[in-house]
Amino acid sequence: MDLLLQTLANGILIGGVVATFAIGFQLTFGVLHVIDFAVGAWVILGGYLAYFMSSLLGVDGFLALPVAFVLFGTLGYLIGPIIYRVRNSRTARPELMALALTFGLFTLLRGGMLTFWGFNTRSVDTALSGGSLMIGPVAVPMLRVVAFAFAMAAAAALFFMLYRTRYGLAIRATAENRETAGLMGVDVHRLSATVYGIYAGLTAMAGVLMGAIYSVNPEIGLRYTLFAFFIAVLAGLGSVGGAILAALFLGIIEAVVATYWGSAYSHLAIFATLYLVLLVAPKGILGRGL
Amino acid sequence: MKRWPSILLLVVILVALALLPQFVNAYWLRIATGALMWAGLACSWNIIGGYAGYIDFGHSAFFGIGAYATAILMGGSFGWPFAATVPVGLVAAALVAAVIGGPTLRLRGAYFAIATWAFAEMLLQLVNVLEITGGTGGLSLPPFLDENFFYFTMLAAVALTYGVTWLLFERSRFGYKVKALRDHEAAAESMGINTSLVKLQAFALSAVLAALFGSIFAYWVTFINPKSVLGGDITDQMVVMVLLGGLGSFWGPALGGVALFLINRLIWMNFGDTAFYIAILGAAIILVVLFLPEGIAGLFTRRGKPGNSLLRQSLARLVGRGGRA
Repeated sequence: MDLLLQTLANGILIGGVVATFAIGFQLTFGVLHVIDFAVGAWVILGGYLAYFMSSLLGVDGFLALPVAFVLFGTLGYLIGPIIYRVRNSRTARPELMALALTFGLFTLLRGGMLTFWGFNTRSVDTALSGGSLMIGPVAVPMLRVVAFAFAMAAAAALFFMLYRTRYGLAIRATAENRETAGLMGVDVHRLSATVYGIYAGLTAMAGVLMGAIYSVNPEIGLRYTLFAFFIAVLAGLGSVGGAILAALFLGIIEAVVATYWGSAYSHLAIFATLYLVLLVAPKGILGRGL
Repeated sequence: MKRWPSILLLVVILVALALLPQFVNAYWLRIATGALMWAGLACSWNIIGGYAGYIDFGHSAFFGIGAYATAILMGGSFGWPFAATVPVGLVAAALVAAVIGGPTLRLRGAYFAIATWAFAEMLLQLVNVLEITGGTGGLSLPPFLDENFFYFTMLAAVALTYGVTWLLFERSRFGYKVKALRDHEAAAESMGINTSLVKLQAFALSAVLAALFGSIFAYWVTFINPKSVLGGDITDQMVVMVLLGGLGSFWGPALGGVALFLINRLIWMNFGDTAFYIAILGAAIILVVLFLPEGIAGLFTRRGKPGNSLLRQSLARLVGRGGRA
C-alpha cells in the first residue's frame, strides 16, 4: 500500500512538470495549427542549459529557469514566423509541410546536440538534490515537490494570461478562428510568433526541472515528444484545460508501469492507452476546450 | 509516340543496372545494393506520404517487422528457407498496418503521424525486452555471402515496387481515388469513393513493400539489432529522401533515395559513423521544406514564367514580400 501511494505521488509530481510543456504544445497547435515535433528538443535544451550553468559557472541548477525562459523564448520567437509562413504557404499541402518542418527542426537539434555534447548522460546539481519530504508514510523527493510547485505556478501564470488579460483574449480568439481574429485587429502573424516563443520558453523551463529530477541526454528528447503527443490525443488536440488532467494521468500511468512492470514497458503502456483512446474517443476523452 | 524516349531511357537504365555486377568490385556492389534498397524504401513511404497525403513517422516499424520475421524464422529454432520467411513478414506488416491505420486514418493527418510514430517507438522498446527477438543483442542469421544474389534480389524488389506503384498510382482508377482523397477528401467521398478503405489499402501496400526490403536487408547483412532495423533514423531517412526527391512524384523517391544514400556513404567514408549526419538530415528537411517544397522532381516539371525563378518564388514564400506569397 505504501509502495502504491509512493508511486502515485511520484507520478503526479512528474505529471505536473509534464503539464507545463503540454499546455504550451496545445496552445501552439491551437494558434499555429502545427504539431510541434521539436517539443522534446526544447526540453533537452533546457536541461543542458541547467547542466552547463551548474557545472561551468558553479551556480545552482534552478537559476537556469529564468535564463532558459528568456533564451529559448527569444529563439522560439524568431523561429515562430518561419513555421507560420510554411503553414500558411501556397504549396500543395501546407499542413504536411509544416509537420515536416518541425520534424526537421527536431532532427537538426537532436543531431546538433549529439554532435557537440555526445551520447553521455549529464545530471544537474541543485541545492535540493538528495533531500526528501515525509508526508505520512510516503517519502517524496524535495526536488520533485519544488519542481511540481514551480510548474503549477508557471501553468497558473499562463492561465491567468490566457483568461484574464486582453492579450490572452486575443490568443484564444485566434485559436478559435484566425480569420475573424485578424479582422478584429489581431496581428495574427506576430501573435503566432509570441505564442511559439512563450511555448518554447516554458518547455525549456520544464526541461530544467526534468534535468534536475532525472538527467539529460539528447536521445531522451523523443520520450518527451511522445509525452506531449499522448497528452494531446488524450485531451483532444488544442485543448489547453484538459492538458493538465491528461498530464497527471500520464504521470501516474508511467510511474505505475515503471514500478510494477519495469520501465521498459512504459512506452508499450503509453501506446496502448493512446491507441485505445483513438479507437474509442478520437476527439479526446476530455473534449475540446480553450 | 511521345512516350518512346522515356521507355528507351527506362530500358537503358535497366540494362545498365543488370550489367553493373560485371564492372564493379564487391565494395561498390554493396553500395549499389544499398542505394537500390533506399530507392525502394523511399518509394514505399511515398505511397502513403506522397500519394495518399498522410505522413507516416513510424515507417521503420514495417521495415523492422520484415527484418525480424526473416531473422526469427531463419534462425536456430525454426530454420526456414529465406523465400518462405518473406511472405510471413509481408502478411504481418499488412495486418499491423490495418490495425494501426484502421482508427487513425479516419482522423486528421496529425493523429496518424502521432500514432505511427508512437507505434514505432513502442515496437522498438518491445523488441528490446522480448526474448524471441534477442533483446538489445539482436539476432544473427545463417550467413549467405553472395553479393550478386543480393544485388539482383534487391533489383527485382525495386523493379517490383516501382512497377506496382506505376500501375496502381499512375495508370489505374485506384491511383485517381487516392489522389482525389488527398486533394479533397469531402469531394472524393461525395463522388462515391470509400475513402477510409482506399486510405487503408494504400497504407497496407506501403507497409508491405517496406517489409519486403526489411526481409532482404536482414538476410543480406546477416545480423540485425533493434537499432539497425527499427531505429527512428530509418524513418528520418525515408522522409528526407521523399521530400528531397519530390513528395508524391513517381521518380522523386528514386532520385532522392539514391542521392541521399550516396551522400550518407560519402560522409561515412570520410568521417565514420557520426551523429553529425543526423543534424544534416534535419537541416536537409528544413531547407527542402523552405526552398524546394516540390523536391528535385519539381525542378523538371515546373513551367514558370521567365524571370520568376524557383529561388525567387521560394524566397517570396519565406519572407512574404511581393509575388504570390
